[in-house]
Amino acid sequence: MSAPRNRQPFDIGRAAYLAVNGLMLFFLLVPIAIVLVFALNPTPYISFPPVGVSLRWFQKFFAGADFMNALTLSLWVAACVLVLSVLIGGACALALARGHLPGRAFLTAFFMSPLMLPAILTGLALFQAYLLAGIGRPVWGLIMAHTLVAVPYVIRTTLAVLHNFDRRIEEAAAVLGAGPVRVFFEVTLPLIRPGVFAGGVFAFIVSFDQFPVSLFLVVPKGETLPVVLFNYMKFDLDGAIAAASMVSILLALSVVLVLERLIGLKAYVKL
Amino acid sequence: MAVATRPSPIAWLLAPAALVFVLFFVLPFGVMAVMSVYSSNPVTNPNAILTTRYYERFALDTAGIFHDALWATLRIGFITTVVSLLIGYPLAHWMARMQSRLGHALVLMAVIAPMLTGIVVRTFAWMTILQDKGVINTLLIDWGVISKPLPLMYNEFGTVVALVHIYVPFMVLTLTGVIGRIDERLEQAARNLGAGRLRAFVEVTLPLSLPGILAGSLLVFALSISAYVTPSLMGGTDVLTLPMLIAQQVGTSFNPNFAAALGVILLAVSLVIVVAYNRILARLSGEQGLA
Repeated sequence: MSAPRNRQPFDIGRAAYLAVNGLMLFFLLVPIAIVLVFALNPTPYISFPPVGVSLRWFQKFFAGADFMNALTLSLWVAACVLVLSVLIGGACALALARGHLPGRAFLTAFFMSPLMLPAILTGLALFQAYLLAGIGRPVWGLIMAHTLVAVPYVIRTTLAVLHNFDRRIEEAAAVLGAGPVRVFFEVTLPLIRPGVFAGGVFAFIVSFDQFPVSLFLVVPKGETLPVVLFNYMKFDLDGAIAAASMVSILLALSVVLVLERLIGLKAYVKL
Repeated sequence: MAVATRPSPIAWLLAPAALVFVLFFVLPFGVMAVMSVYSSNPVTNPNAILTTRYYERFALDTAGIFHDALWATLRIGFITTVVSLLIGYPLAHWMARMQSRLGHALVLMAVIAPMLTGIVVRTFAWMTILQDKGVINTLLIDWGVISKPLPLMYNEFGTVVALVHIYVPFMVLTLTGVIGRIDERLEQAARNLGAGRLRAFVEVTLPLSLPGILAGSLLVFALSISAYVTPSLMGGTDVLTLPMLIAQQVGTSFNPNFAAALGVILLAVSLVIVVAYNRILARLSGEQGLA
């Protein structure tokens, strides 16, 4: 496509351009690397440069009842959100793409809107609604709140897959005598599975890292991990937070990898 | 496809999502709007009356903090957006014009990796870097550049630095898409006609990427004016933004009605931005359709 560039021995403009971009990558990645350094540094307060390597902060994190309760709650909520948003969002995307609905563009924009509005306002509005309904702040209320902001991700990834695949595959199955139910379960569903599960991965991470939506919806002693970390950081800034951060980064990463291994690859193999 | 106009049975699959969105999205925002014009909880308190007192309280601002909070929110949002654009543009340009697929994938991963890390974790990272005994101050003192730590945190500067780090990936991803669609040959034609590289960029690529600049800026602005974690941890007592004010009203003052009024005000600001953003995106996809 592009014509070969005339190469000069040293190009100061090009060098500056690359230097700026190198700095930018440094800026993006160094903070995450620094968290790892502080998670392993044994000094009681955050101090630099690190003096050694120890696992005492990981020990403190895994031995702390508050941290562990929060981690368990966060994982439980994120797992529920994953299942709910895959079912609700996947179905919704199918209806949007295949339902011949009037006002499709408007409906799609409507189901995407939780992504566009400030998450802290979604949390505030739900807090007000639960308050008015007099139901307190139950865990299922938190799960539904997270589901609401996770569903758009599933809709988006599923719609992307639905747009890309050939409708004639479904039509061919129908012509060959498969009923609509059989076409759906044996053709459509396997085809959209990668998109749905990619959305599920996003849903899990969105819920597990969720702060603004949770802020007003958690009760004392029943807080999710990001809220517990936030409250801890207001008073203490030690390696326990870094260890907790590393654990949550690794957990998010392993969920992505496990889902990719278990379902993503299999779905692609079946294609 | 003769029956394309009538909804098919598959349309019923919309029902669960519709139910969830009505119950947990439309209704709650309606409740918030209603709460903002009542003196207290109208369900539990029979004496609750309709009132505009909470909006008046914000508009009159006798305490002298609400308007400052609104301006601080918009100012931090604006500076964060401008800085994100200035440092995000070169990276987006580099990514969009990269020939090597591997290089492109690696840079994309570097941009997305921070997005997979929670906001609380990334704010923590910046606290360890910018605080008085943080990485930067310790290094500068050790090297003898300064004798006392620089005030890098607990002010607007630290807030903006962390917010830029958190939201610049959104800017880069939006811009990369738009710059990638600009035909590189246009710039080469300008250069063949004698324009220098800088001039070809300023007069060809930059104007063509304007819709992306606008869309990315509105996105980053909308995200940063609703940030809560970063300004409250990085700002210390120096920074008070609208979301922090809302959290105060819910948490410490327990005045959900005033919190609702503040929520409606922040919602109004966001809606203006969202509508503008959608207009620009619609125009962008329209242009793409023509091409």
